[in-house]
Amino acid sequence: MDVEVKERSADDLFKEFKEVSITEFFRKNKAHLGYSGKLRSLTTVIHELVTNSLDACEEAGILPEIEVEIRQIGEEHYRFFERDNGPGIPVGHISNVFAKMLAGTKFHRNVQLRGQQGIGVSGVTMFCQMTTGKPMRIKTSTGDGKVHNVKLMIDITKNNADVIEQSEYSEYWRGTEVEGEVKSVKFNLSDQGPFEYLRRTALANPHAKITFIDPEGRKTGFERSVDVIPKPPESQKPHPKGIEVDDLVNMSKATKASKISSFLVGEFSRMSSAKVKEIQEVIGKEKKEVKGLMVDVYKVDMNWNPRKLTWAQCEEIVKAIEKIKFLAPASEGLQPIDEEHIKKAVLNILDPEFQVVLTRPPKVYSGGIPFQVEVALAYGGHAGRPNETGIRAEVMRFANRSPLLFDTGGCALTEAVKEVDWKRYGVKDFENSPITVFINLISTHIPYTSAGKQTVAYEAEVVKEIKFALMDVGRKFQIFYSRQRREGEKEARRQMLLKYGTELAEGLSKLSNNSPDPKKIYKELIALVEEKIKLANELEMLEDGDEEGGEVPVEEAEAVGEEKEEA
Amino acid sequence: MDRRKEVIARLANMGDELLEEIKKNEVPKMKVPQRGLNNVVFNQKENILELGDKKSTRNFMNVAHTKKFMQSVLIAAKCKELVDRDKTASIRELYYQLKHTIADTKENTFEGQDESDPLIVDLETMLGVLREELHLKADDKGTIIGKITIEDSGDSIDCSKLGRSGLAIPSIVEHYKFKDVKADYVLVIETAAMFDRLVEEKYHVDNNCIMMATKGQAARGIRRLVHRINTELKLPVIVFTDGDPWGYYIYSVLKAGSMALAHESRRLGTPGVQFVGMTMTDIEEYGLDKVTEKLKDVDKKRISELQVYPWFQKKEWKEELQMMSDLGVRLEQQALASKSLEFVAEEYLPEKIKKKKMLP
Repeated sequence: MDVEVKERSADDLFKEFKEVSITEFFRKNKAHLGYSGKLRSLTTVIHELVTNSLDACEEAGILPEIEVEIRQIGEEHYRFFERDNGPGIPVGHISNVFAKMLAGTKFHRNVQLRGQQGIGVSGVTMFCQMTTGKPMRIKTSTGDGKVHNVKLMIDITKNNADVIEQSEYSEYWRGTEVEGEVKSVKFNLSDQGPFEYLRRTALANPHAKITFIDPEGRKTGFERSVDVIPKPPESQKPHPKGIEVDDLVNMSKATKASKISSFLVGEFSRMSSAKVKEIQEVIGKEKKEVKGLMVDVYKVDMNWNPRKLTWAQCEEIVKAIEKIKFLAPASEGLQPIDEEHIKKAVLNILDPEFQVVLTRPPKVYSGGIPFQVEVALAYGGHAGRPNETGIRAEVMRFANRSPLLFDTGGCALTEAVKEVDWKRYGVKDFENSPITVFINLISTHIPYTSAGKQTVAYEAEVVKEIKFALMDVGRKFQIFYSRQRREGEKEARRQMLLKYGTELAEGLSKLSNNSPDPKKIYKELIALVEEKIKLANELEMLEDGDEEGGEVPVEEAEAVGEEKEEA
Repeated sequence: MDRRKEVIARLANMGDELLEEIKKNEVPKMKVPQRGLNNVVFNQKENILELGDKKSTRNFMNVAHTKKFMQSVLIAAKCKELVDRDKTASIRELYYQLKHTIADTKENTFEGQDESDPLIVDLETMLGVLREELHLKADDKGTIIGKITIEDSGDSIDCSKLGRSGLAIPSIVEHYKFKDVKADYVLVIETAAMFDRLVEEKYHVDNNCIMMATKGQAARGIRRLVHRINTELKLPVIVFTDGDPWGYYIYSVLKAGSMALAHESRRLGTPGVQFVGMTMTDIEEYGLDKVTEKLKDVDKKRISELQVYPWFQKKEWKEELQMMSDLGVRLEQQALASKSLEFVAEEYLPEKIKKKKMLP
């Protein structure tokens, strides 16, 4: 993982922009893009900004330092600030990044890490504008001594920036700061709020330093756990099997190809004109009136202009792709977080009594889509989630390092945790244990159930792999846990023996013929107790040695109750 | 006096052995004869319960035994002190003498008398000594009345001259000496109310007998007294209880001994006793079907327990229990008052005893 990444100039990065009008599309599909529900909308805003910062830092080879602040300024009305130490945005590209839908660098490359959700920071500008009518303020500098301050909105009809204010001053500083206002959103500290989003983001991005100031003014810092910047994912054209409807819509709006056929061949891997023909055939024809005559025409004609594709038409194409076989995608693109890095992050953020981390080797599902699973289990410390009744177990789901906070039920990751028989690993009541389970699913294509991209579909191979990983960490946990429990029981036993020991010594002194000093009897008794306990420990260690590698049976509590019978 | 020294020696020896084990780095343990149905043998020939030879090991290092172990030693040490000082304490006094808070805890050495009582019996069986030899006694329970004079610590007590209340029977009657006995038999009665009724009717005077009331389950003192009067004075003993499983079990304890004190059956049991009533056949015989009481669930459960005890397998008792179970009723001694207050003294008892209509 220690890959030196050369800092690339910002201008270089932003050559890859493409322009398309899509604002109307946003308005119609905002629910698909994460802007549904008051809490979720706010989390999506933070997600888009933070993702953008993390991606920019990574690509430029900078260790990210991100600061997020949310202030309440009225009923369901908030102001947010997001700052990073990233490469900054060249002045000419500011409006492209913040006020042009589908203009981001991600849409024409298969950069599957993180930024799979939403349509980037322009969506944030759009959402702010829709709910408050106010512009976004951006302060950015590439470190060339000039700091730019821009206030802008999106011109909805032209999908262009409407720059309201622009100024410049001299300062040697590098980074980007975004400030905006949103209404009809809600902040809270629940599982699905911005705080939890940032906490989990910090866990999955141990190289980032993230600071959060909540509306109450409380400041939380998630310190950097490792100083290694992840290798930027290989730029790779997306595999058709991994495409979701909204991806296709986004990409089709951004393409410069004149026909759907050339768009598909040009933008996807393993896509040939023969495959496009197959797609055409699978989609099939429908009866339509043309110049007064009923004729059979293709429902979606591959010769059409891709920029005019509707959601429903894209759906037809995706459905057709599902029925066709393609060569499997290459697996080099998989980027796990790395066991050591997760360990450090878990230690840093959860400070547990025990943790175990496991990165499984890559596998494939659905006949060839590569994926990889990383799991961690933390116990005690800050692991688990406190509620009124005590600490409950929490499951942290990640897809390519991006936290999945919503739609927990029905997610394959949640299901896999449920399917593990935790009792076998000494966890009597999983739901009510101070346990955090961390699952990161890495894939060139995460099989989401819907465009919301919060729920992973139940792919048997994926679930099986997660379960294996969890069972593996479960076994390691059990060894730790049963030892800890035994220690507790042994100590209780020792205390009990010592407690009654004083009484026994005095009783024995009175009972016996020569009435020796009770203190002397007590001393001998203690020596005996300590020796027997030591002996028991040694025996136990011998037994533990035998258990290595095998399935460890749940340890029975020491036989208590009835006195032993003797004939 | 030798016996006293012997008891002290046994107690001290128990302490020495435990100390020796500790010194030898061995886990201190004591072997306690088991007391319960699985270690009680019914000697059919002699009609008494005997203790088997199963023993439990009480091990200080086993957390389930640790406290009991410590408590047993405290009791033994206290008993040694009592015998040494020639004092006798009630088992309740013993409990209070030993109860105190364990240093640095909120826990007491004993939380209730129910913790110390069974350990006293353990100690008796473990050392093969009697409770009175440990200088322990229980509270007085039971009453005796009739023409018998008892010498107790230099005093002569004429049990026919104590008015209607009679003499309270202490838990230890070992030192009693009997004089001037003028009685044909002994009648042992379960309830105090029936005892009072019979005293008022002067049953013991008219029928020349000694009467005793157990007032519930017969305590050690009354059982020992019955045994001694029966064996030393050769007087027959007749038992009169309620017609229910609890009454029948009182009879069984008087006759064969109890499970808890099976080791003392030969001193406490009186195999020759006979049972006069109440019986299930009395219901028809005396027309008492209107004054029966319905069996409760606990009664039914107790009946089924008695039905499997080896010492309830005599034909007469099996029939009796079966009939009770079938009828679903019990019959109290007081039910006889439905005839008349005098009925029990003037007709029921004299007739049944004369005709020897009694159960073995």
